[in-house]
Parts: sequence; structure tokens; C-alpha cells
Amino acid sequence: MTAVLPQQSVLMAVLASVTGIAVWELAGTPFGLLAPVSAVFLFLRGRLVLGVLGGMTIALVVSGLVAWGHSGEYGEIAGLVAAFTATALCIGAMIGAVTSGAAHAGALLGAKVPGRSDEGASPGGASPTLRHPDDRPAAAYAAARAFWTSVPQVMRYRHLQPDGSCRWGETRSNPEPSASVDADELATGKEQATTSVPDRQPASVADAIQAAKVIEDLFGNAWAFDAEGRWIYLPQFAQATLGLTPEELNTSRDDGRVAWHALLHPDDYERFVSAWHRSLRTGEPFHAEHRIRRATGHFAWARSAARPSYDRNGEVRGWYGTSIDLDVYKKTVDALQERERELTHLVNMVPSYLWRLTADGEPSYFNNRLAEFFGMDIPDLVDSRATMLAAVMETLVHPDDADRLSESLRHCVATGERFNMRYRLRRWDGVYRWIEGRAEPLRDQLGNIVQWYGVSNDITEQVFAENALRERGRSLQDLIDALPVNILSFDPLGKLTYASKRYLEQVGSPLAHVDDFNALAQDLAHPDDFPSMFKRAAAGFANGEAFVNRFRRRDRQGVYRWIEARAQPWRDPAGTIVQWYIVSVEVDEEVRAQEALRAAQDDLARQSQAASLAELSASIAHEVNQPLAAVVANSHACQRWLTADPPNMERAQKTVERVIRDANAAADIVSRIRALFRHAVETRSCETLAGVIADARDLLAEEALRRRVRMHIEVDGELPPVALDPVQLQQVLVNLMRNGMEAMEATAGERTLRIRLRRVDAAVQTEIVDCGPGIEFPDRIFEPFFTTKGHGMGMGLAICRSIVEAHGGRIWAEKSEAAGATFIFTLPVEAKVAA
Amino acid sequence: MTADDDVVFVVDDDERIREAIVELLASHGTRCVAFASAGDYVAAAKPDIPSCLVLDIELPDMNGLELQGRMAGGDHPPIVFITGHGDIPSSVRAIKHGAVDFLSKPFSDVDLMAAIRAAIARDRQVRSVRADLGALRQRYDGLTPREREVLPLVVSGLLNKQAAAELRISEVTLQIHRRNIMQKMAAASLADLVRMAQRLDIEITHSRRTTEGRS
Repeated sequence: MTAVLPQQSVLMAVLASVTGIAVWELAGTPFGLLAPVSAVFLFLRGRLVLGVLGGMTIALVVSGLVAWGHSGEYGEIAGLVAAFTATALCIGAMIGAVTSGAAHAGALLGAKVPGRSDEGASPGGASPTLRHPDDRPAAAYAAARAFWTSVPQVMRYRHLQPDGSCRWGETRSNPEPSASVDADELATGKEQATTSVPDRQPASVADAIQAAKVIEDLFGNAWAFDAEGRWIYLPQFAQATLGLTPEELNTSRDDGRVAWHALLHPDDYERFVSAWHRSLRTGEPFHAEHRIRRATGHFAWARSAARPSYDRNGEVRGWYGTSIDLDVYKKTVDALQERERELTHLVNMVPSYLWRLTADGEPSYFNNRLAEFFGMDIPDLVDSRATMLAAVMETLVHPDDADRLSESLRHCVATGERFNMRYRLRRWDGVYRWIEGRAEPLRDQLGNIVQWYGVSNDITEQVFAENALRERGRSLQDLIDALPVNILSFDPLGKLTYASKRYLEQVGSPLAHVDDFNALAQDLAHPDDFPSMFKRAAAGFANGEAFVNRFRRRDRQGVYRWIEARAQPWRDPAGTIVQWYIVSVEVDEEVRAQEALRAAQDDLARQSQAASLAELSASIAHEVNQPLAAVVANSHACQRWLTADPPNMERAQKTVERVIRDANAAADIVSRIRALFRHAVETRSCETLAGVIADARDLLAEEALRRRVRMHIEVDGELPPVALDPVQLQQVLVNLMRNGMEAMEATAGERTLRIRLRRVDAAVQTEIVDCGPGIEFPDRIFEPFFTTKGHGMGMGLAICRSIVEAHGGRIWAEKSEAAGATFIFTLPVEAKVAA
Repeated sequence: MTADDDVVFVVDDDERIREAIVELLASHGTRCVAFASAGDYVAAAKPDIPSCLVLDIELPDMNGLELQGRMAGGDHPPIVFITGHGDIPSSVRAIKHGAVDFLSKPFSDVDLMAAIRAAIARDRQVRSVRADLGALRQRYDGLTPREREVLPLVVSGLLNKQAAAELRISEVTLQIHRRNIMQKMAAASLADLVRMAQRLDIEITHSRRTTEGRS
């Protein structure tokens, strides 16, 4: 019925126009022209109708005014024109009212099927117009569903072939805003391609506002536009939310922009406006996802869709549609996306290598760091090898570790045990790095392993450090083993905690029951040494002080050898003793060498004693022999003189005198030597030393004169008397004074020998000061046979010391302040003398 | 008992010893000169008569053994050492270097006098040998150069004929030289001349046998 309508109306229009023009030509009446005008009205659409009607109205008004204003011929013509246009106008209005409803119905069934979502998505690239007309509405609905639900729609349709036949094809409508999630496609069965669309939308003039109100009933929001895109309906609540009335919104339309202008986000504007214009121009359904400005100034996401309403003639009369607020959804999605992005970021930024294996142990994910480490990602692994795991093992794992690693992985995959292992992986630059990998399985509710999540870290530096540490430990151990000492350690309770290898070799393993210090010491120390050694050790342990022990220790052969053991406590920072370390060194040879040395020293001492005795006796012999030899020779001479004939008595007498003199000298020497050794005390008497000094000076006065030495004697007053042997003391003084004089032999200047006597504490001190060259060895000068003189016996000062010490005094030598030497001796003031 | 033509020198730093030895020697009638040091002895002018040196080992300026070493090689009187504490090494050394005796103080006069006598006798003998040699040398010095050439050949035992051939002179001329030599040297026989030549250290340069071989 509806399909033949256009052809009939064209034919009728043509017939009516021809008849009308013929009437106008033949009868000369302009009303004949009404027929073609009416025909034109029949085919005019939209604005054209309004334009023509407008023009005619203007012509009517103008001609009416002219007819009103003028009379005569012009008035008559104008009146005719006015009558004509008035008639045509009526006819036109009448035709327009009738055709708009018909055109609308025709459009729904006919040529134009909106649904741009089809385009490009259909595999065949089929133009919508090539679809079977029955399938077109279904496609449009599919597109709408896709828009609102974001679910891709797949439907079957009939494809028009050039020969007019149809072929089944499949099309897919993708939602405009792409979803970030996978959604199952909604597929319609091939037999349901057609819908009851023609029934649903009766071909009647649908008022856009009315349609909007129906939608508003359903969704709570809807709106309507006129065909030019002006707001004609906006619910009150919407006006309140937007803070704008349709009139206010339409001002932008009047300014040449879209009526949405005030509501759109600048970023969405271009896209929205181009879609809007396209729909207004073509009548295609409008779909857009965009932001809307609310009265508060905030933008909220919305999805808007509009459908045109047609008049009876198929002309678009207006648009109705709705906007669904998507803000919460959109923000949720955005938040989710942001979270996902952050998670991805985290996974890629975390300074570890993250990976995932399938339940079978196949690698299924590397994070960026791991991919960068390998220089390849999962897809790069896919090659000719049997599995990706095999590929990883072959290309990325160190050959020495591959077997171990695969075995371990296989074990974990089979048993579900946690994976933890160290192995080497090849980095992108070909360098193998030590990696510590750990993985745990993710299980579903039934306990089945779904996936393995793994994390790896590069521990190359750590491994090297550990190796270095181990190496150090080993070298320290080697050092301890190599050192020629035994090292033991005990805990504070005395329990053995460590024994070095050398100790074990030398002493043998401590038995189980003697692993504490006391038992060990008792077992190993020589019984003679144990008490003192144990006492010292016990004291050391008790006081926490290091100690040293020398004792004989039994070695594993059962031989006792001398060792020196040094114990040192090791304290923690708080000062508590944590451990005792004992280092013992074998000193057997040293001890024995020391013993030998001591014996040798004793020997030497004895020998040197003997030697000095021999020398002493030689000196004594010499001293005594000189006068004795003279005595003997003189005696022989005397004998000769007496036995001569006649005897020479005079010479005999002379020689006998010499014999007596020399024999006395020898006796004197002998007595002096006896005094040196005897230290006789019986001859002591209480005298003042000053008298002895005066005697000595008198004895040496002649010699001093000869040597041109001035003797200067100072004696402090009130000196107490001391117990002394005057002969011995005189010998000391004479000896020291003569030494002083001899020392000044080479002195060029004044030769003064000063003798000073004074009291120092409980002693009387005598100083003999010369101004000679001084003495080189003040300490040794009193030793027997030590002499600095060309021919001295080295006995003088030794005898002096012997005498002074026998008197309980002390003698020593000093270098004088200026030059020369000072000999000082003291004699104690005895209590019994004072009493 | 000893003649006046000998003297004993005594060197000892101990005056008592010097006195005693001088006295002892005087009692034995021996002339004696004493010195206190080695230097004094060396410096003193000594008469050229048979003499003996009694030397103490310990002297202030020079050890007695040292003095002995210094004088070795020259003409010096035989030495008798006296010492206060003689040790074996120094006594051995002293005797080895020609000392007559080594006496420890105190010594007996018998030992000392025996040593002194032996020393003087030795000096006397040395002096007479030295005097004989001096006379012999004087005679030898009286020979003409040609005669001094002839002498070694003659004492070598060459025949006159051989010696003449050696010197390219006639045998007669050689015989004249030979006779002159015998006269001048006061040699009683050829054997006497040969002994003299030996004391004069004239070398035997030729052998009759080799000369025969060469002729």
C-alpha cells in the first residue's frame, strides 16, 4: 500500500498541473494555475513549504494592500492576485497538513535508516542501504543498545545483492565509548533479525515533545528540540540542575551556534557539535557521550541520544531524546582505570622482577623491569621450542643452573610447594647475574593452583659479598690453622667452644667429659705445674682479667712440653664477657734454652770469678814479688859480702838494711790485702774524720808540692765522730787524693784539689774534687782491675769501695760541674757512737 | 872471677830491684850499669866489650820483649829476662828470639849469675867470630879484581887449565894469580882457602864436571 503512494501522487500531480495550465491557456483564468501550484505543494518539504507559504503570504498581503490602496486597473489586478494567492495559500496549507503525516510514515519504512555504528564494523563493509529493509530497524536498535549498554551487538542481516536477492551476513555494533573490560558480545539469532518495529511506531505524526514526555516517564529525564535544533522542551528539574531555561539556551542557537553551547565542555564541543549537525542535517539518530555543565559549574558525564520525529510527509519536525547521567559510572570507571594504571605502574616500577607462571609453570607475564633485564618480553619467547619454559631455560638461564632450576620448578609445580632458589640469569648484555627467585601459588576456592606469582631480585653484589665473606672466613680459618699456635675458646662458664686444628693435632680431641676448662687443665697440665697454673687461671676468670700461664702440657704422644698460654676475655659492648680466647704457644725449646742459658751464665759467673781471682792473685803476687825479689837479691849480695875474704861488713850492713826495708814493704802490702778481704772491725775507734783528712794531707803534702797541686780543705763545724779504722780511712783518702792529683797531671791551669767534709742527714760526707779531664765510666770505675791509667793495677778504687762499704758507707763518683771528677763517700753516724 | 873487660847492663823500673841486682853483681865482682827504662838503655853509650843485658819485662815505656824485637838483627848483647809474673807464652817467645834465660822474681843469685856468665861467654864468642871474619874480609878486600874472579873458580875445584880457559887467560897467568891469592889470604892450603871462602859467603859457581862436559 505504502510503497505505491509516491508514484500515484506524482502521476496525479502531473495530470492536475497539465489540466490547470490548459484551463489557464484556454479560458485565460489564472485560477487554472492553482492546479500546478497545488502539485508543487504536494512535493515540497520542510522549509521549502514554509518558504513558499511565506512568499505567498507576503504576496497576498502586498497585493491586498495594493488592491486596498489603488482603484482602477492596478487595483483590479492586485485584487485578482490577492484572491489567487489567498486561494493557493489555503490549498497549500491544506496539502502540507496532509502530506507531512504520510511522509513520516514513508520515512520510517523507506530510504533513510540511521545507524552509523554499523559502518566500518561490519565485515562485509556493507552500506546500510544494502540491507534488507526489514533488517534496518533492528540494526538501528542494535546500535542504540550498543550505545547505552556498551555491549557490542552482533546481529544477522540480509544483504541485498545487485540482482535483488538477499544473502545472510553478520554485523557487529561496537559501543561508542570503548569499554576497558571484556564484555560478552550480545548476539541475536538469525531468525530474529526483524522486529516488530513497524507495529511499535505507528506512522502517525509524533510530536517530539510528546515523545519526550513518554521517555521522561520512563527515565525521569527527556528533552525535545525542534527541527532546527532549538530547545522546545526541558523538564523543570533539568532546568534547575542546569540553571538555564530553554529560552536562555536557545540564544546561542540564534547566535549561529548549537543550542547546547552553554552546556558543553570545551573538550567535547567539536565532537559533539559535528555529530549534532550531522544528525540535524541527515536525520540520523544522535548519540553522544559528553560532559554537561551543571548550575554549580561542575561538569558531569552524560550519555545523550536523540531521535527525530517526522511529520506525515516524512519531514523531520523535531527531535526528542534524553540524557542519562553517567557521572558516577564514569568516575568509577576512571577511578578503576587510574587504580589499574597505578597498579601497573607499581608492578613495573617496583625494584624487583615480577613474573607470573601458569599452573603448568609456563611463563605468562614479566613486568617491565624483568623484560628490560632480559631485553625481551613474553611474546619474544615464543619460538620453535616446545614450551616457553624450555625457551627460558635454554636462552636465559645459566647452563650450570638450568637443570637445577627446572628440577626445582617442576617439583614446585607438582607439589605446590613454595619456590625459593638462587640461580644465574642472562641479562640483555649477555652478563649472567645472580638472581634470587621466590614464587607462591595462587589457589582457587577448591585449592587448585591457578597461577604462580613470582618475584626475583638481583643479588649478584650480595652473592659476591657473601663469597668474599666466606672467602675471608676461610682464609681466617686457614690463618688460624697455619699459625704455629693453638687457639681455644671457652664460654664464660668455662665450656670449650672452639679448638683450632693445630690444637687437635697436637693435643688430640678433648674427650666428652673433659670439655670444660677445669677438667681440661687437670687432665693436660703437668701435676707439678697444675696448682699454680690453675690458681692463676681461676683468678683471671674470676676477675675477668687476661692472664698468662707457663706450664708443661701433655701432648697426644703423652710427652709433657712447655707451653705459654695467654687468655684474653672478649666482651660485648655492654662489657659482659662473651667468650674467653686462649692462645697457647709451645715454648719448650725456649724454656730449655733458658735453662741452658742460666746454667751457662752460672758457669760463666763461676769462671769469671775464678778468672778475677787468678788475676787478683797475679796482681798480688806481682805487688809482693817486687820487694821479695829485692829482698832475695840483697840477701844473696849480703851473703857474698860476708863470705868474702876479707868480709866486706860495710856493704853487708847496707844490704841488710835494704832487706829489712823491702821485707817490711812486702809485709805491708800483704797486710793491706788482708784488710781488703777481711774488713776488720776490731780496729775501729770513734774519731772525727777531719783528723784523718789532716793526716792524709800531711802525707801527701810533699807530693802535692812536687805536682804543683794546691789542696783546699773545707770542714763543716760540729761534725759528730764516726766509728772508723783510721789506717783504712787514711788509705782511702790518700788513694782518692792521689788519684785526683794524677788526674790533674795534664791540667794547664790552676791545679786545685778540694776536699770537703760535711754532714748529710745521718751521715758524714766527704767530697774530693779535682779539675782534671773527668771520668768516663763513673759506674765501672770501682770495679776491681778497672783502670784508666797506663800502668795501674785497677785495685785502688776497688779497695776504697771495699773499705767504705765495710764501714757501712757508700762511695761513688760524679762528673764535676765545671770540669774534672768528684769522688764522694759517706760514713754513717752510728747510733751506738752517739750513745 | 870475671875479667874487667866485660859489663852487665840492668834495666828495671823498680829502684829496689835495680839496687839489689847491682849490689849482687858487685858482690860477685861484676861490672854493672843500671837503667830505669828501655829508653835510657837505648840512649846510653855502651862500651864495645863483651856484655849482657838483664831486662825486666814490665817496663814503663816499653815492654822488654818489645825491646828485644826492636834490637833483633843488630848487634846487641845476649838478654837475660827477669819478670814479676812470667807466663809461659812470653818466656817461650823470649827464648825463641834468642834470650839466654828467663828468670822469675824472686830469683836465686846462682841462677842469675849462671845466666849472666853464659850470656857473656856467648857474647865473647860472637865477638871473636865477628873479629875473625873482619880480618878475613880485610884480607879479601886486599885482592885485585882479577884475583877475586879467580878465587871462586879455584875454590870450586876447577883445574888450573879449566879455570884459565874460563877466564881466557893462560894457565901460567892463572897459577900466578892463585899463588898471590893464597899469600894474600894467608891460606895454608887450598882446603884452608875453601873454608875461608865459605865464611866469606863466596859462592861455588863452577863444577869441574860441567866444565869438562863443556870442553
